[in-house]
Parts: sequence; C-alpha cells; structure tokens
Amino acid sequence: MSPIVFIATLLAIVLVALVLLVLINRGEARFTFDIGGATPRASGGGDNSAEKGFKSRLMGLSVFSGSIIGMLFARLWAMQLVSTDDYMQQAELNRTRTISTAASRGRILDRNGEELVTNRPSLCVVASTEVADNEVEIQLLANVLGMPPTAVKRKIQDQTEGAQSLRTVAVDVSRRVVSYIDEHKYLFDGIQVEERAQRHYPMGSRCAHVLGYTGSPTQEQLAESQEDDSEGSIKYESGDIVGQAGIEYQYESVLQGVRGEQTVYVDADGNVLDYATTIEAQDGSDIVLTIDSKVQEAAEQALLDAINRVRKTGNTACDSGCAVCLDVTNGDVIALASYPTFSPNDFVGGISNDDWEMLSSEESGYPLMNRAIAGQYPSASTIKPLSTFAALNYGIASSESGYDCVGFWTGFGQQYGQYCWNHDGHGWMNLREGIVYSCDTVFYEIGKAFFYSDNPEGLQETYRRWGLGEPVGIDLPAESIGRVPDADWKWNYFTQADDYARSWQGGDTTNLVIGQGDLLVTPLQMACVYAGLATHGTIMKPHLLKSVSSHAGDGTIMEYSEEVVRKVDEQESSFALVDDGLYGVIYEESEAQASHFLNMKEVVAGKTGTAERAGEEPTGWFIAYVPADNPKYVVASCIEQGGFGSDCAMYVVRDIMGAIYGEPDTSTAVDTSGVR
Amino acid sequence: MALSFGKDSPAQGIGEKAHTTFSRGAGSARGARMSSTGISQVLYMPQLLFTLALIVFGAVVIWSASLTIPEASFPRHIFGIILGMVGAYGVWRYDYRTLSNVSTALLIADVVLMLLPKVPGISWSAMGMTGWIRIPIIGLRFQPSELAKLVTILLMASLGAEYNGRIETLRDYLKLCGILTIPFLLILTQPDLGTGLIVLVAGASIIICAGAPRSWVLVTIGIVVLGATLVVVTSLTPGLPHLLKQYQLNRLIVFVDPSVDPSGDGYNLQQAKIAVGSGGFFGKGVGNATQSGSGFLPEAHTDFVFALMAEEFGFVGSTLLLALFGGLIFSTISLAQRVESPFAKLILVGIVTMWSFQLLQNVGMCIGLMPITGIPLPFVSFGSSSMVSQLMSVGMVQSVWRHRPKAA
Repeated sequence: MSPIVFIATLLAIVLVALVLLVLINRGEARFTFDIGGATPRASGGGDNSAEKGFKSRLMGLSVFSGSIIGMLFARLWAMQLVSTDDYMQQAELNRTRTISTAASRGRILDRNGEELVTNRPSLCVVASTEVADNEVEIQLLANVLGMPPTAVKRKIQDQTEGAQSLRTVAVDVSRRVVSYIDEHKYLFDGIQVEERAQRHYPMGSRCAHVLGYTGSPTQEQLAESQEDDSEGSIKYESGDIVGQAGIEYQYESVLQGVRGEQTVYVDADGNVLDYATTIEAQDGSDIVLTIDSKVQEAAEQALLDAINRVRKTGNTACDSGCAVCLDVTNGDVIALASYPTFSPNDFVGGISNDDWEMLSSEESGYPLMNRAIAGQYPSASTIKPLSTFAALNYGIASSESGYDCVGFWTGFGQQYGQYCWNHDGHGWMNLREGIVYSCDTVFYEIGKAFFYSDNPEGLQETYRRWGLGEPVGIDLPAESIGRVPDADWKWNYFTQADDYARSWQGGDTTNLVIGQGDLLVTPLQMACVYAGLATHGTIMKPHLLKSVSSHAGDGTIMEYSEEVVRKVDEQESSFALVDDGLYGVIYEESEAQASHFLNMKEVVAGKTGTAERAGEEPTGWFIAYVPADNPKYVVASCIEQGGFGSDCAMYVVRDIMGAIYGEPDTSTAVDTSGVR
Repeated sequence: MALSFGKDSPAQGIGEKAHTTFSRGAGSARGARMSSTGISQVLYMPQLLFTLALIVFGAVVIWSASLTIPEASFPRHIFGIILGMVGAYGVWRYDYRTLSNVSTALLIADVVLMLLPKVPGISWSAMGMTGWIRIPIIGLRFQPSELAKLVTILLMASLGAEYNGRIETLRDYLKLCGILTIPFLLILTQPDLGTGLIVLVAGASIIICAGAPRSWVLVTIGIVVLGATLVVVTSLTPGLPHLLKQYQLNRLIVFVDPSVDPSGDGYNLQQAKIAVGSGGFFGKGVGNATQSGSGFLPEAHTDFVFALMAEEFGFVGSTLLLALFGGLIFSTISLAQRVESPFAKLILVGIVTMWSFQLLQNVGMCIGLMPITGIPLPFVSFGSSSMVSQLMSVGMVQSVWRHRPKAA
C-alpha cells in the first residue's frame, strides 16, 4: 500500500468517525427533545436518555472496533491475496544465497608432461579493511600468526587485492592457528579463515619468465570482464586468481575455467540449512608447453654459471643475461631463460608492496623483465650474415671480393678512421673470412659502398626483410620490437641536435653494417634470424603452446598448428657462403673456441658478437644452430656487459646444446686471443 | 467553549439523578429476557467460546513456533494459560459490583502496581526489558503494567459510572481526565509507551461512553494531538528537550519511511511484512515458514506472533483470527448493550476498547499500518503476564454476566 492510499484511508476513517459522532450527538439532542412529549414509561418520569445515550455510544464503539477489524482485513487481503507473489519472491531472496564455486585453474606442463604449475589447497587468514583501525585486534592476530603487528597492519592496508575485498593477512597458516581463531570468534571480528586453491610452482623460479605470475584482477580487468557478455566469458570477482604475466596471462581464458554456482538455503545468521540447485564449475584446461624442462634447467644454470664466470674475472658490472632455444623445424621454444629471475610463488596470495618494489627496482636488475623477448641490444657482429646478404644482393660485393685489413680503417678519411676489433689487422680477407674472423674492415668497406651507392638503405631493407624492427609474434605478452635505424628515424629522433648531426652519415652506415650504434634487436629476433639461416629462409613462428588438454579426461583438446612466420628469399649460393662462414666461426676462428665444440658429435655453425656501449662493459652474444648439415635447433644467448661473446654467451649456448644431446662441455680451454 | 457547555448541563443534571433508581428497576425486566438455561445462567457462552477458540488457535501457533524457536516453550505457554484460567475463575466468582464504590482503593492499587518495578529487590530487568518484577522465592517474573491495564479500566469505570451516563460539569470531566493521566504517566516512566497508549485509549473510551459532551472530547483530543506533535517535534529538533527516546523516534521514522533503517526497526518491519505477504491464501503450513522458522522474523513468538501465524496459515488463518476477535469483541459489546448498570457497561467498554486497540496495534504493526510497539497480541502472544491479565479480563466479563440482576 502506498503512503498516499494509507493516508487517504486514515482520513476516511477519521471522517467516518466524525460523522458518526455528529449523528450520535444529533440522536441525543432529538432524544432530549423527546423527553417532554414522551409518555412516562414508569413512575418517576420518562427520561431514559442515559439508557439511549449508552446505546448510541456502544454503537459508536461497535463502529470503532468494526472499522479496526475491517481495515486489518482489507490490508491483509491486499497483502496475502493480491501482492503474494511479490512477497514470496522477497521471502525467497531472503533465504537463498548463491555461492560461487571456484573452478580450478588449469595446470601448466612441459612438453614431457612434467608439472611446471599446479594448484594446492591452502588455509588463508583474511581480514576486512576495518580491522586495520583496531590496534588490539591486530596485536592479537599478530601474536597468533607469529608476525610483527606492523606487518599485519600493512597486509590489511595493502590495496593490491582491490579496494573492497577481504585482505589476505597470511597464507598457508597452520591448523593450530585456524582452530584458535575458530574457537575465539568473538575476539576476531572481521577476520575469517578461508580455504583457497593456491597457485603452486613446484620448481620455484624455474621457467619463471615464461610462466609469469598471477594476482587478483586489476580494476580494468574487473570492469572489462563485467562488460563482456559474450558466450562463455569469464566474470571476474575481486579476489579471483588471474594471470598477470607470461603464459598465465597469455592463456588466461584457457586456464581460468568457468565458475559454478551453488544455491543454498540459509537462516538469518547465514548458516546453510540446505542445498538447492547447483551449476557445476568448469575447470580450466591444462596448457602443455613446448618447453623441455631439462633443457630449461640447463639454460638457467648455464646463464648463472656464465655470469658468475665473468664476475669472477673482476667484471662485476655483468649481472644479467638471457638465452633462448628454438626448434627451427616447427618453431617450438625448447628453452627460454632470463636472469636475474624471480619466484612466481612470491605472488601467491598477493604480493606485498615491499616485495613488488624490490622486484621492479633497478638495483635488483629488473628480475621481472623477460630479457629474451623484451631486452633490446645492438646485435653486434651477429648481424654480419645479413650484411653479407645485402652486399651480395645489391652487387656491393661478390664471393670473390677481397679486402686488406690493417687494423685501422680510413675509408672516410684519416679523421674519420675506425678500428677493426683486431688492431693488428687481419691481413687480406675475402667475404667468407670476413664472417669467420668477424673482420670489421671487410664490412666497413661494404658499408661505405652502400653509403655511396644508389641504395644507401639496402642494409636496412635486408634487415627488415629478415624480421628485425618488428615483433616476432611469440605467444607471450610484452615483446619488444627493436629498432632498425635509417635516415628518417635519425632526423626525427635527434630533434635537439643541429642539422648536420641529425642527418645520416657514412659512419652510421659503417656502424650499422657491423651491428653497432643505434641498431637494436631482441635475442628472440636474432634467434629467428639464425633459424632462417639454418633452414635457408623459412622461419617458423616461435611459440610456447604445444597443446591444450582437459584436466579431467587427460585428452588433448587442441594441438598447436605450426605456422611459417616469414619466408626470406636469398640465393642458394649466398646461403652456402654464409653457412660456410658460420661453420668457420666455430671451428676456425680460435682454437679454444673450437675445442668446446669439437667434443660434440654434431656439427655446429654460429656467430659471436660483442656489442659496445659507451661507458659500459661490452655485451656478449653467441648464436648457433645444430646440426649444421641438417639444422634442428637454434640457440641464442646474450650476456649484458659480459665482455666478448666468446667469453660468456658461448658457454651458455654450448651448455644448452650439451643438455639437448647429452654431451656436456668437457673443454676448459679459455680463449686468450680476444676473438669477437 | 467550556462555558457555553456549562450552561445547559445543570438543567439536565437534575433529571439524571432522579433517574438512577428507575434505571435499576428497568434492568431487572430486561434481565428476564436473557437466555437462561443451565450453565448459561452463570457463563456467558458466546464470549467464552470465542475466547477458548482463540486460546486454542494461539496455542497451536505457539506450538509451531516452539519447533524452531527455542525460547518459545510450549509448556510455559500452557502454564500461562492455566494460571490465567485460575485468575479468570477467581475474578468470575468475585462480585464485580463491590468494586464500584472503592475507586480510591483501585487508584491506590493501580499506583502500587505501577511502582512495583521500581522497588529494589523485586524489580527485574534484563536484555533491555524493564517494567518487570520478580516475585521472591517463587522466582516468577511478572509485568505489573499488564495487570494495571485491567485495574485502570475498573478505576475509570467506577468513576465514570457515578455520572450515570451524562457528565454535566467541566470540573467532573477534568477530574476524570486528570485521574486517567496518573496511570498513564506512571506507565510512561517504566518506560512503556505501548501499554501507556492502551491505558489512555481504553480510559478515554470509558470517559466518552460515560457521557462526556462531544465538544469537550474533541477539544481534549485536539490538545492531546497537539501535545504529542509538540513532543515529537521537540524530540526531533536538536537543542530542545528530548522527551521521546531515540528508539521511539526511530520507530516513528521507520513507520513514515520504511526504507531508512536507523536501528534495525525498518528491517524488522520489512521482514514482518514479507512473512505476512508470502503466506498467501493457505499459508506455508506448520514447519514450512521460512521467515519465522529461519530467524528472519524477529520476536516471532511474542510481538510479531501474528506475522508468524499469517505466514504459516495464510489469509485463511488471518481471517479466522480476525473473525474470532470480532466474535469476542461483538459478543462483549452485545452484553454491554444488555446490562443496565453503567458500571458494568463501562467495564465492558474499557475491555472491548483494550482488545480492539491491541489488535489494531499488534496486527497493524506487522502489516505496516501502525508504528512498531511492544504490545502483545491478546491470547496468542507468548508471555504469561499478558495471558493472565487478558484471561482475567475475560473473567471480568463473565463476572458481569454471572452477577447480572436476574429476573425475580
């Protein structure tokens, strides 16, 4: 009944009552009038006005009581016969609660089925935000959990889990703590114990950069999932576990699953009385990666060893690096490692602000960064095979071309002279030897010829044809694209400099042709280039997803179908020349280097590189494919400020190959000739 | 205004006084026409049967409530009924007419009853309940204001009867009104506004039926309404004296706008309405009521017992309950029309008004027609104090029947 109807009813009742009062009054008046005319009924006169007065007043009382009953009846009629459905619905809403049941998140496995990520049950203590203001409760909770009160308070105030949700104070608490809190509920107002499935990374930091990590959904993810009404879309709730990086993020929709709903009957205190309907949760599917856990382990260990080896020589600037191993025949990523690394377990149950700041700080070397796909470095001499293709294609050089290296090249005049890395000079070099010994003079000449030719940007065109300067398209987020510098870029990039400095110079071309200066590549891009060299032009799309399989049925739902990402046309003779050169790098450039590969059955072809940056130790590169006669794998490594490529990155590549073929490196020879 | 009414009252007054003896005489003639066979000579059967039906219905409701509400002890309810019947028997045997001339004693009894909860040693209060006494040794808790309702009715009836149907002087009228304010104000100090309102309405009804001129009554009502409005307004205005307690204000606010809920009263009201409405035509049946059975409906066995009944027995049950109350009330009014003694008439008027007003208050608050007060539903709500005093009221009605002047 609306207020207006109610007021109207009240007014009507008051009106009726007033009218009745008036009537009664009139009745009395008439009766009083009648006294004179009435025949005396008995002795003592005929005045029975009192009796009559009572009668009409009792009539009034009847009307009073009757209208109360009538009003109640009318109202009950309206509520119990007319609006029943509405009230029924409200009663139903009162007593039913829909509890969403979590879908278990899919696991992530390596190519042999080894578990890289799984789930484990965990008891968590969560607190509502108001608890942060209750010092007594915080102190009590801190005592029970064995944590400092300030840490408890910080956890509750931490907003990374979202502004509204219950904040996780502690995960993996013991049964003792849980039973204590349950028994003393009145002391722990606003604090609950929840059993949650937590993400578990059984091998700690293994494969961390590929796997990524999880966290609560961000405000954007929450909003986006609410707006998305498409079939089977996931509706996130604050407190859900959502992939935030790596494969966890990339294949979030596959891993997440669909939440189920359980409708229960509850009492006023929220206790469950009975179960109504159930919509089963659909668990997320498992992801099988192309990663081989054993090779991955070797790659991570090799990186650590190589960096420690460099640091032992006194170069403490060397603190980071990466390695990637691809199957050139199908694009499978066999291993992908980056150092420094982190443990995705740190993110389980919500990472603290302190931990987050530590992981994203410069001092710790940005461990969250996946250097293999996001690190950008000058390619250094590893670019020389592409420069060779450019020279051959544009008629700058032929396989017979010869150059005399005296150690200091003055092709642009004495004042613009540039050193070959070998200041003593390589002597007479042909194109193949230029690759084998990484002679800079040979390529300076090629660069100079390009600078003065009709195709001054022929080098850039060739590099781009091989995929530099654009993303490879691996199934991981946050891939960098690198940079192939040209005249336009330079003019627009250095806007503050004078026109001469902004314009493209001969020195820019001679830097570019040996992969120094402004050229930037990612290790993954270079791995793909060498995959193309190995297959003579067919670059398969590198990918981490091997298949998707159902968690329950052990059946494969979907198999990754390999895909050619790039087809590069070069003349077969050019490939032959480069193949030969890369073979020479391994077995001819230096004896010490050769000794590390001569202890393998498989023939290897590859290239060193040493990228220079002013004021820093050089960054070492090594990229190789194996077997050279019928290539299967390409392995690339890059060690930041690790010195010459043959002194650091080479060991990483060799160790990874050793893990693949079961042929560990037995050579202890150290190169002293300074080959690059 | 008072003066103009004063003018004609003396003239009428003479006639009234002369009439007194006649009225008694006429009464005996009427008494002869009443049905007079066997047991109905001493028991007024229609009213008794409606009462028994209500008690049985109420017992069924409390029994069903006891299935889910631990506090609703069915044996204690039955004990209350037995206690009430013993009380009613006592009152029935007692000749009510001896009370007509002891108004001073009644007033004293009334005051003593109201003050009992203030006496140290027997006063008892717990869980926010005040106005209770705990009888020493037996340990029985009792709410004297429940009994005081009945005593006040007797007091007002004995005073009102003196005027024999017509109050001529303003002085007499004001005296009656003044005496009524004594129990009213005493109940307010307990504090128990709900019971106070019942006393006030029942007493006012007696004064009106005792023959108060219409205009005086209207003026009095006007003053009371104005005073009440003033109390509410000052209580709502910061800085002015707050005569109403905050919870009382909250109940008024919730009544006007149920969506605001300063104290949980809005929630209670909403839950009660849902319980009543969702009962539908036949109700959900005993044990299937989710609102009262799962704890959503607060005080489901006491103040909101009607909502529980309406949820379990639906519109059919509600109609039955209203019909039984209707029968109870109208059979009593019918008796009031037939007895001659103004004292008896006024007692019945007071009792009928009490039942009607409690019905309106209790059922009305469950369905959103009245603000929330802690008034029990007579004969149904769990609680012995109410049951005893209501059954004693029935005993009083029966006493009026038993001691009616019989045909010679």
